[in-house]
Amino acid sequence: MPIDILERFLHPLRRPPLTGRYPAEPAVLGPTMRGLPQLDPARCDSSATCVTACPTDAIVLTAATWAIDVGRCVFCGACEAACPQDAIRLGRRFELASRTREALILITPIGGPR
Amino acid sequence: MADVDAPIADACPGEPPDVDVRQVHAADLAGTVARFVELGARFQMLVGLDERSVGGDGLAVEVALDGPHRPTRLRTDLPLADPSYPSVARLIPAASWDEREAKDLFGMIPLGHPDPRRLVLHERWPAGYHPLRKDVSANVAPPLGDRHYVPFEAHGEGVYQLPVGPIHAGIIEPGHFRFSAVGERVLHLDARLFFTHRGLEKLVEGRSFADALPVVERACGVCTVSHALAYSIAVEMLTGTPIPPRASWSRLLLSELERLYNHVGDLGNICAGIGFQSGVARLGALKERLLRLNDRVGGHRYLMGLVAPGGLRIDLNEDGLASLAAELESISHDLASAVRAVIRSAGVMGRLHGTGVVPSGLARTLGATGVAARASGLPDDLRRDDPYGAYKELEAGVVASSAGDVAARFHVRAQEAQESIRLVTEARRRLEPGSFRAALAAVPSLGAVGVAGVEGPRGVSRVWLRAGPDGTVDRFHLRSASFANWPVVAAAVPGDLVPDFPLINKSFELCYACTDR
Repeated sequence: MPIDILERFLHPLRRPPLTGRYPAEPAVLGPTMRGLPQLDPARCDSSATCVTACPTDAIVLTAATWAIDVGRCVFCGACEAACPQDAIRLGRRFELASRTREALILITPIGGPR
Repeated sequence: MADVDAPIADACPGEPPDVDVRQVHAADLAGTVARFVELGARFQMLVGLDERSVGGDGLAVEVALDGPHRPTRLRTDLPLADPSYPSVARLIPAASWDEREAKDLFGMIPLGHPDPRRLVLHERWPAGYHPLRKDVSANVAPPLGDRHYVPFEAHGEGVYQLPVGPIHAGIIEPGHFRFSAVGERVLHLDARLFFTHRGLEKLVEGRSFADALPVVERACGVCTVSHALAYSIAVEMLTGTPIPPRASWSRLLLSELERLYNHVGDLGNICAGIGFQSGVARLGALKERLLRLNDRVGGHRYLMGLVAPGGLRIDLNEDGLASLAAELESISHDLASAVRAVIRSAGVMGRLHGTGVVPSGLARTLGATGVAARASGLPDDLRRDDPYGAYKELEAGVVASSAGDVAARFHVRAQEAQESIRLVTEARRRLEPGSFRAALAAVPSLGAVGVAGVEGPRGVSRVWLRAGPDGTVDRFHLRSASFANWPVVAAAVPGDLVPDFPLINKSFELCYACTDR
């Protein structure tokens, strides 16, 4: 039926596209999206609760660093929920691709055990 | 043969009293299942078990049924030296893949099985390697075997073979489809899956219930709420944990949001199956709006990280919930208009009608579930038939059609999507502030079993869960709705044309990842 074909043609003209212009413009992210787990070193007391809580063993804690392997992290939020100091937040960072395996391990310096 | 009215034998302590658990001799298992099915019970799943971790000394299979009077689990112990039993699938075809899976992963032999080929472990896995046995380590790679895949092919004058996949010309998962065809018409389809078998059921053994959840939830990307929910209900059964009302209503809301984005996406995929681009674009745009709505409500486009044993892991976002009703009303209107545009196109509906027909008898025999069953005249829906959580208070309207073709599956999905919008809106209305998570009430005793089913977008996904020591997972089995429906897809294709296969496949829109696990 010609009217249907006309309707199919006109429909997209009446609606703006949903597709964003990312990466030319910032991506549209949900207000509570759960991206990269990020540590606030000032709050961390090196209790290693996050290391135990992580179901994929993605977190490694040393005296001077807190390292998360985003090749293992599944963004489940167990570390955030477990931290007694409220030092971990699943933040809004999501561009985590890398050309090497090593670069997937993101290191945050900390003050060391107190 | 066990008597249906006999008293319960060997009910495990801590077992819910409304489940009938019986020991059956290996020789009687198939006959007992068949007799119970004659009496009105339906086959739910067959689970392979290694009893050595819970005080036994061999293997076992367990068949779960929904009747005849109440949920029934038939258990058969099998000695390690000779773990064979007469096949259940000879009498109950729906058990065919379950038995092949248990054969690969545990090494039990279903005698007289109609199709005893390998299923989960492809031929290059060595003979005698059964990874779900408790004495096999998940961390040691076995050597490659030397056998090769022998496809099931039809032969005869003018019959040719058409291999498709496992790599496909699209962003879909891997599966090998071997068509035996005469001209354009398919005589037989042999579907070979399990290319994405990751051993998830082995991986969660020994983990705490909390640590197993992220694995269970990620068995696939599109039924995450359903799988996390079935697992959580099983854990709550094991631990006797009641969940707060806010969690119940949130779970219903999330289950329906999951059904909604899947159904809308699948309606678009049916259009893609015949190259109807304006339908693909409109329904794809609607799916994107739904994914963004998911993100606003739960912080995740595919609703991961929300459902957890005891209720929810984190509370739903109030701002997102506040925007729900208006956005869903707009989506409901646009969905109706997009569906109308498809239905009004004679060229489209001509392809959909009479294609990929699954008669209701065949759907019942093969154990079809979800849309695949309801579009074939079987009005089964666990939300209404055996309601769980908030579905006990809010009845889901069940949509069914009798034609059994692609058009019927299109119509059922379109109407169910509108019903899901109603349910989400109603759940949002009834969602009261309050606690969204309860602590697990107890540590289950060693060997306690919880079984739960959830009506997901593709049908009923079931979880069978047994507790190990100190609140860990001893055995976890996920029988996803896709696993149940794959044999139905293979049966829907013969008699149709080869180029209609993508369309028929998309009308079921099954998942490979949670089938393969």
